[in-house]
Amino acid sequence: MASAGHVLDDETVRAALSAALATGGEFAEIYAETRSGRSLRLDDGKIEELVSGTDLGAGIRVLRGGQTAYAYTNVLARDALIEAAGVAAAAVSGMSRVELADLRTVTAARLHPARRDPLTVGGEYLVGVVRQAEEAARSTSGDVRQVSVSYADARQGVFIANSEGHRSVEDRVRTRLSVQVVAARDGVVQTGYEAPGAAKGLELLDDHPPQAVGRVAAERAVLMLDSEPAPAGEFPVILAAGSGGVLFHEACGHGMEADIVAKGASVYAGRRGERIGSQLLTGVDDATDPGAWGSFGLDDEGTPAQRTVLFQAGVCTDYLSDRLRAAELGIPRTGNGRRESYAHLPIPRMTNSYILPGQDDPEEMVRGIKRGIYCDALGGGQVDPASGDFVFGVAQARMIEDGELTRPIRGANLVGDGPGVISRIEAVGTDFDTRQGICGKDGQGVPAGLGNPTLLIGRITVGGTGE
Amino acid sequence: MSDELLSLLDRIVADAEGQEGVEAYAVDQTETTVKAYGGEVEALSSARTRGVGVRVVVGGRVGYAYTADLSESTLKATLRAARENASVSTPDEANVLPAGGALEDLAELYDPAFEVSTPADKVALALELEAAARAAGPPIRGIDTARYGDAVTVAAIASTAGVRGSYRRCDAYVLVEALAEADGSTSSAYGLDIARLPQGLDIEGAAREATERAARLVGGRKPSSRRIPVLLDPFATASYLGVLAEGLSAEAVQRGRSLFAGKVGERLAGEHVTLIDDGRLLEGPAAAPWDGEGVLTGRTPLISSGVLAGFLHNSYTAAKDGVASTGNAHRGGYKSPPGLSPTNLFLEPGEDDQEALLARAGEAFYCQQILGAHSGANPISGDFSVGAAGLMVRDGALAEPVREATIAGTIPEMLDGLVAVGSDLRFLPFGGGMGGVTLLIEGMTLGGE
Repeated sequence: MASAGHVLDDETVRAALSAALATGGEFAEIYAETRSGRSLRLDDGKIEELVSGTDLGAGIRVLRGGQTAYAYTNVLARDALIEAAGVAAAAVSGMSRVELADLRTVTAARLHPARRDPLTVGGEYLVGVVRQAEEAARSTSGDVRQVSVSYADARQGVFIANSEGHRSVEDRVRTRLSVQVVAARDGVVQTGYEAPGAAKGLELLDDHPPQAVGRVAAERAVLMLDSEPAPAGEFPVILAAGSGGVLFHEACGHGMEADIVAKGASVYAGRRGERIGSQLLTGVDDATDPGAWGSFGLDDEGTPAQRTVLFQAGVCTDYLSDRLRAAELGIPRTGNGRRESYAHLPIPRMTNSYILPGQDDPEEMVRGIKRGIYCDALGGGQVDPASGDFVFGVAQARMIEDGELTRPIRGANLVGDGPGVISRIEAVGTDFDTRQGICGKDGQGVPAGLGNPTLLIGRITVGGTGE
Repeated sequence: MSDELLSLLDRIVADAEGQEGVEAYAVDQTETTVKAYGGEVEALSSARTRGVGVRVVVGGRVGYAYTADLSESTLKATLRAARENASVSTPDEANVLPAGGALEDLAELYDPAFEVSTPADKVALALELEAAARAAGPPIRGIDTARYGDAVTVAAIASTAGVRGSYRRCDAYVLVEALAEADGSTSSAYGLDIARLPQGLDIEGAAREATERAARLVGGRKPSSRRIPVLLDPFATASYLGVLAEGLSAEAVQRGRSLFAGKVGERLAGEHVTLIDDGRLLEGPAAAPWDGEGVLTGRTPLISSGVLAGFLHNSYTAAKDGVASTGNAHRGGYKSPPGLSPTNLFLEPGEDDQEALLARAGEAFYCQQILGAHSGANPISGDFSVGAAGLMVRDGALAEPVREATIAGTIPEMLDGLVAVGSDLRFLPFGGGMGGVTLLIEGMTLGGE
């Protein structure tokens, strides 16, 4: 597939950027992309429709002071681009006369190429993949009632050029396999889910064989059949490796995004250098992790991907910025300007947000707890960045009683606030695991990687209906 | 614009081969968004996007492909891709294109007065919204988001089953999020309004809603855990309806993923509880003349006077059950094959306004905000355990704020315990159009300390 870079020649780019700057803008940029993707779903033994397609379009951004004008179109032709540039320019007025710099190609230090291009296989091959996952899930237990499997791949060609002379092209491939299992016994119905994804091609399926993915999802559902309602109250909570990354992402990461900080809407605003978390906590955002779900070479403004430390031994360190907010806060650009597509403005976003491993033995943590909760998997969560208050569904959990893992519990929610929960991290495991999600912010969804070692939190409020 | 789209779709449909069914769907959308911050325009965005999706059904197999490139050669390639995609799907005789004819539009969805608004008018609305919210004064200490948005959307459909039509709609909204702070405690809340025309938006009302709701949450503490009556405010009710809707989809029922499966005709709630989905209700944000596959929309009772009356259907689930589609095939745009979702879903309003419900509750928890409904509520098992922020109700009036709380129960318990539906119905643009209204629910578990 041709990437978007092949569509826009230098002359068109210069003409569109000139038109964008004609009314006094200080900076102009073209972001063009093509995105081709496929998705296939198997449900209840049936191959549902295979969907494929290509989307394309370009957005033209003009900046002046703190103002942004943006126009986009999904007609990738010279006239349409120049028209869009004119629409964006019309929203700006100023006296500046910015000269276009000569375009020079910028390349990323690290790319995440697909070793096996998904488009080299046809629909029949993909049907085989989802069938394998389904069969493995069904054969796990007689209690499995429903299995749905989805496979999706996307290839995104991104072209960026701006009035400072930046020009870059990046090809990004992402692949994901998701399995959801419903298990039932004696009127109790539970679900289990597993969905690995990566900035990789079909080699994803070498790292995560479909059978293994199906089995894990089924085991989760079946385990929860024996669950009892979760108790309500405050408890020590252990978050298994991989399960707590979403909590760090929602309750800490979002508040470290520079747009939220700039508006004073973050509980972490103005607190750089302050110890907020436990000394055991070191957390990073790392867009360079090879092939990870949230990785890329250049961000969606062309800034190179990097690893940014958010908390160093509990001390609040660096915010995640894009071009606009870096300038506004007087901080470096960290390469976190991301957008869902050409139809969206870039905003500061996390890439792969990880809590780094520590020194503690995960099994030891359990042994030290009289009564607590061990979370194997969290569900989705939501956070109010202004207060740091969060809530997370617990998809899979067990009670810890007298230092032992006992009965599984269901219907639990973790409720708390970001600064509070990271200040109460009492142990950090030597292990580490990741999960993959789609993070939504301002109506834009982007792939976000999540990761953590086993963590012991001294206490968290748990919402539940049991005793 | 719509004639052009229709003739383009006609050409795709005309390329159908043999016995295959071909359905082509197009969207052409023009949007404007203005964000204001600190008395200035922070961002203005305008756009036009369009695209076509093609569904092929042959021998019960279905395939889908889409493109944003409307050149003749790409459209032909898209039909071929949909055909190829169909070849790997499992045959299912319920995969049929709904039969139809020339489709009427719903003329009230578009008001030519929309065109009177200039970009400058729209900028003024966003600035006015931000200024009105900022003017609230302490404890309001900032406005996180103040946004005006609008869209003109043209949708068109044509198929080998005879369906053919197009319609146009215009929509405008304002959304504002206010931040409040006192004694180091911060809270935030949204206010919004939707209207057919920019000039019909209640700017002051949206600003007041955000600031009042943010201000009254400031200084919230964890409540003590107990069982207590709960009032869901209209925003919280909209989240709750979203969870109910998942279980009331015939797709969920047929796949064994609904707690309501097999319960049609059973009593779920009191006589005063009636839940309706109405795709033609003009004041609802999801109104349309026909659904995502050209089936006429209509009014579908889901719970009638407390009794489960039926489920939402698209043509696939309807064919499976041998019933008629309720016109709930949903498109997320040209990239999505038809799915199934509610349109304007609401509980028929009762007699009591919010004040009367507060008085009736006496001592209760007023839930202003539900957090994590998508994770904490399970339409399969019926578990409902979500994060909540709001206020305690004492002696029939709102009292101290509460945060970091949870409310928990089960979906059947909440329906059975639904003591009263308020009179304050108003549609919110969440997941289609959800009817926001105050609800009084008898007893739920409030979690905190």
